[in-house]
Amino acid sequence: MKRTRVAGTFVKKLPLTLLIAMLVWLAIRPVLDTGVTGLTEILIRAFEYPRVTRLEAVDHRARVFRSDFRSDSSIPTIPLTEIHFNTIVLLALFLALPKRFSRKNLERLAMAWFLLYLAQTLNLFLHVKCIYALNLGDWSQQTYSNFSRNFYGFWRYFTDLPGRFSFPFVFWLAFFWEQALGMLTTQPQSKQAAKKGS
Amino acid sequence: MKIRQLWERPETRFLILFLTILGISFTVVALQSVDQAFVLPFTTMVAQVSGQLLILFGEEMTVSGCQLTSPRFAVTIYNGCNGLITSLIFISGVLAFPARWPAKILGVLGGLLAIQAINLVRIISLFYIGIYLPDLFNSSHIFIWQSIVILFGVGLWMLWADRFASPHPPGSD
Repeated sequence: MKRTRVAGTFVKKLPLTLLIAMLVWLAIRPVLDTGVTGLTEILIRAFEYPRVTRLEAVDHRARVFRSDFRSDSSIPTIPLTEIHFNTIVLLALFLALPKRFSRKNLERLAMAWFLLYLAQTLNLFLHVKCIYALNLGDWSQQTYSNFSRNFYGFWRYFTDLPGRFSFPFVFWLAFFWEQALGMLTTQPQSKQAAKKGS
Repeated sequence: MKIRQLWERPETRFLILFLTILGISFTVVALQSVDQAFVLPFTTMVAQVSGQLLILFGEEMTVSGCQLTSPRFAVTIYNGCNGLITSLIFISGVLAFPARWPAKILGVLGGLLAIQAINLVRIISLFYIGIYLPDLFNSSHIFIWQSIVILFGVGLWMLWADRFASPHPPGSD
């Protein structure tokens, strides 16, 4: 039987879909900046008393304001591009799929994108908490325990490196498993199906 | 749905295994002892190889640790720039996917070489972007090349799975 190389076609499409995804991301970048910053601010304020943190997206960076900072304090900033550039990867993978614009696939994209947005928000949340726990001198030492510093540091590292790079792939594969694996000439079966077949 | 039934679904099993291997491997490379014994020497080696390639291209390079310096431009290679992240993600994908062990070993070795090769292209291209298009250096470094390297890893994984994945998960028979 002739083997069709659908996976090869998918891979060949990736350079073009990467370019399209990059253009889409550049167009919606200000919306993503505001969206991630806004939800992160809500998340931080939900866990702090008194509610003093305010985040503002300026020039693709999140500026971290606290109402209890001295007026002459420098304002910490976090680059937002690194937080949400992985949207490009999710969109490129989606656009390379066959029959991508069906209603079902668009719904799945919306769900995968929403999860990625939550992961990006968590990443920014951990960056802000790390600034609080590590970078504000004596105040950080007095307000946060060593456990907190290690906790926030570890999870920031985790959402920074493996998270940013792998989450688009994980969410894409989770929501488009059938299409993605349908492109392979040999496909893994469930254990039950394998037993029935043997 | 019972946990056992969920585990028997290939997508759930793959994603759980993938995230577990990824979590363990990234925890291991985050340890200071592993960083000193493996990650830092590995990053230095990537810098040395990049420096040698740039010398072949006619650049007057000096390599000091992870820093590449020439009279025209200088770059420092950090942990996130050594190709290790994409390699670990790729390896996790290969190990989590149902395939026979020789195919997995082939995938891991081939994938590591291919990812390191594209990472060298990335470092060298960033060096020249820094010289000729300095305004584009940050964009190229942060979102263009990082996206390319991740998609390269995913594409490589798809091609490996297409050619080497087993129709029957190991241990199912």
